[in-house]
Amino acid sequence: MSARASRPNGILAEVGLARIAAVTATVVVAVALQSTVLARLTLLGVIPQLILVVVVCLAFTDGERVGVVTGFFGGLLQDLLLPQSITGLTALVYTLVAFAVGMFRIYAPQDSVLAPVFAVTVATAVAEFGYAAMAIMLGQPWVGLEFTIKVAGLVILYNTLLTPFVYPLVRRVANRYRPERVYRW
Amino acid sequence: MLLLAFVALSIAVVTLDFRQNSGGPIKRARDVTVTVVAPIQRGFTTVTRPVGSFFSSLAELTNLRGENERLKARLAQAEADADGLPQIEAENEELRRDLELKKSWRTMDSVLAPVISNSPSNYQWALVIGKGKRQGIRVDNAVMNSEGLVGKIIRVDRNYSTVLLLVDPAAAATARVGDLGDSGLVEGNGGGERLTLSSIDVTSDVSVGDEVVTLGRDQGIFPPGIEIGFVAEVGGSAAALERLITVEPSVDFKSLQFVTVLLETGDELQPKKKAK
Repeated sequence: MSARASRPNGILAEVGLARIAAVTATVVVAVALQSTVLARLTLLGVIPQLILVVVVCLAFTDGERVGVVTGFFGGLLQDLLLPQSITGLTALVYTLVAFAVGMFRIYAPQDSVLAPVFAVTVATAVAEFGYAAMAIMLGQPWVGLEFTIKVAGLVILYNTLLTPFVYPLVRRVANRYRPERVYRW
Repeated sequence: MLLLAFVALSIAVVTLDFRQNSGGPIKRARDVTVTVVAPIQRGFTTVTRPVGSFFSSLAELTNLRGENERLKARLAQAEADADGLPQIEAENEELRRDLELKKSWRTMDSVLAPVISNSPSNYQWALVIGKGKRQGIRVDNAVMNSEGLVGKIIRVDRNYSTVLLLVDPAAAATARVGDLGDSGLVEGNGGGERLTLSSIDVTSDVSVGDEVVTLGRDQGIFPPGIEIGFVAEVGGSAAALERLITVEPSVDFKSLQFVTVLLETGDELQPKKKAK
């Protein structure tokens, strides 16, 4: 039996076990940072959504398939750490946003520095207002519209400013553990 | 196809969360997640807190000398006051029993707990603290610090607990204005925002600067007399039925490092009859 035949097929072969471990570790570190250091270093009382930045950067680097999986699990992890949220709602929003980023990245200019920053800005706006709308529809206790607009605006600004620092790290992790068999655009 | 599968999975989780009772699979998943992630958060907090404190200290350097003098004066005063304290406390407890008043928070068993992490969301205000069931903490225990009421326990694991902060829109506490003033309901409006005090009659004599404390009556979970904040604004026209009052909270919710959990709540706060 050749070595080629013994390799796993499908999504595992595409992503690679070492890469799954590295991406999982990156998301967990993002969760820990968002709930400790960044929760104290707030901008006018607002916490940046680092998990979303990491998810969007991964979707931008690796496409919609990786984006969907990391979006779901990153969002679910955030949901499970919240005391009284609707579990699965952040997972749903991040899954859809990451899919959209992964699909539209082919239209971004090659090696553009601004493209991932722009992707995070737009994705954050969609995620913030999308989450607020769905949470209100599902009857979650909510603050006023003015507060939501203030929070969304500051999170968009904060996430945009974080992207130039986060994107190179995420891309390095994604490329460092990339398996031989890859599907790239 | 993958997108559809994960969207369906998300909707299934949302549905499960809506349908589950207090001990469902989502609750267990939450407990496991907090237990696994909390040690990592504790590590990050332990490493980064001294750095944050260092920068805070630099910013406050100019105020330190004056604060030192003030604290020395307060210490001397506190030492003088403390001499007669045990006797006063015993008398106070005796009178409370006779008047069938609820137990004061000052005489309760309590646990000091470090803050491990904050809620990662901008729409929910909660903390995870580093003490849990093993230290006697239970759901609905009141949480406070030296400044006043912080919130209440909403989830307890073996070594960790989750505190819902008073500023959360889902949090509320029965309160009264001043020592013998009107009573109402204090509710949160989100981090950085003032609290709302409702159900105060429009004819009541509430003014800006009045102290607001927990009421602690009936089946309320908070003991009486814990400071909540001060009246910041009083509104409401003569035609209205109740006043629109905002309260500036005493606690600085952004810089909590340690909190005190009172280990008695609900019915346990009712006065215990003296043995005849």
